[in-house]
Amino acid sequence: MDFFELRETGVHEEFRADEAEEPAGRRSYAEVIAARSRIEVTRSTMEEVEFDLVGVDVSIANALRRIMLAEVPTMAIESVYIEENTGVVQDEVLAHRLGLIPLRVDPNDFEELLDPEDATDVNTIVFGLEVKAPINIVAPNARRRIDDPVEDDEVARRPGGHKHTTVVTTKDLKWLPQGDQETFLPEPARPVHDDILITKLRPGQAIGLEAHGCKGIAKDHAKFSPVATASYRMLPRIDLVKPVEGDRATALKNRCPLDVFDIEDIVSDDGPPASRAVVARPRDCTMCRECIRRIDDVPFGDDMADYVKLKRHADFFLFKVETAGQLAPLRIVHDAIAILKAKCDKWRTELELSGGSLSLD
Amino acid sequence: MNAPERHKAYLLEDDEARVEYAKDQKIPNAGLFTIYKEDHTIGNLVRMQLLRDSDVRFAGYKLPHPLEHRCLVKVQTTGAKPKEVFLRSISDLHSEFDYLDRYFREEVLRFKEAT
Repeated sequence: MDFFELRETGVHEEFRADEAEEPAGRRSYAEVIAARSRIEVTRSTMEEVEFDLVGVDVSIANALRRIMLAEVPTMAIESVYIEENTGVVQDEVLAHRLGLIPLRVDPNDFEELLDPEDATDVNTIVFGLEVKAPINIVAPNARRRIDDPVEDDEVARRPGGHKHTTVVTTKDLKWLPQGDQETFLPEPARPVHDDILITKLRPGQAIGLEAHGCKGIAKDHAKFSPVATASYRMLPRIDLVKPVEGDRATALKNRCPLDVFDIEDIVSDDGPPASRAVVARPRDCTMCRECIRRIDDVPFGDDMADYVKLKRHADFFLFKVETAGQLAPLRIVHDAIAILKAKCDKWRTELELSGGSLSLD
Repeated sequence: MNAPERHKAYLLEDDEARVEYAKDQKIPNAGLFTIYKEDHTIGNLVRMQLLRDSDVRFAGYKLPHPLEHRCLVKVQTTGAKPKEVFLRSISDLHSEFDYLDRYFREEVLRFKEAT
């Protein structure tokens, strides 16, 4: 049960002997985790999940975060074979843009492709992109420019007007199933969004290419990262060391920009009714330190820090994972834990196997 | 032209071991573990786990070079064999993640039922 306390002088560590701690004896950390750790999902949507990871060391929380960012595999376009590209975007830039498109394909259905020569239906997905910009007709998917006045529409529709510009989006990417892919994939491979702009073409220009996607991890290239962000923060804890009552309570409540405090009425038989500040929403606290700041010429501005202690729990992590679209957010977290487990398993096996010859050291 | 192969950052070479151990020739009860294709993620995790062991006198890790994909973990014990201690730490880590995995699955099931 450790805390980090935030004071005017900086961050101070505070160690507190845990009442629940076992009396001296060798208790492995795994047993500690088994007994004390807890995971609670607090919010989950299609794009985002927030969960609490409680009772583990920072190194574990941080390893989990780093694995989610860089080592959970996904599928992305890796090689692009360009037959024709007369657009203004150069081949290499176009290929790079294609690579960054998130694909809704389950990486578990595929194997890793080590050498492009070995491409088969079990390790490669293929997309085709064929777009020809028609000459002298208004492009069917032409968009109005935001800064375009409506009366200029006539001009825009004339040959040479910008409505003759063809917009190439991820909707134009056609999945070309290879081998048995149609039978072993639960659903057709497709980009996560169908409105991502890839390039624009002027009348007469054309693009014809084939894009090959494979499995990879973000350590290799950031396009493989399954998350937009994966982050954690430690749960704030606000201690009122002395009762904050009456006008001081109101002052404290008003001072907090995130409205962390509530005011509670104290009803007592003897004496006038009073009020007291309570910490109601510590999760909202951003550690802005406004409540412990010394402000002159303001009521109670000089000694609020004597009443309020701002701390963070050292073993309570509020995770927030936002997917880039390839995998469901809960799946990313689950995969990350599984990856860490698999790594430990592999080292253990290898060390145990080599144990015979090295055990003399 | 002379760019390093991209897969070298995360794929083991054909003849490369995942972990190597070398006994320290000068310090008693000390050794150096080389974990290939790993970085701070694992380095810090393993170091902190080793430090929780009461048999460990020293544990530290470093990445020798940003273009060399290996992580060095130095361990000195109070008497036990470094390799045993290391193996114990790895086994412990494995069961830690096993518990977390189980708790996470249970929590996801609970959450899905609740909503």
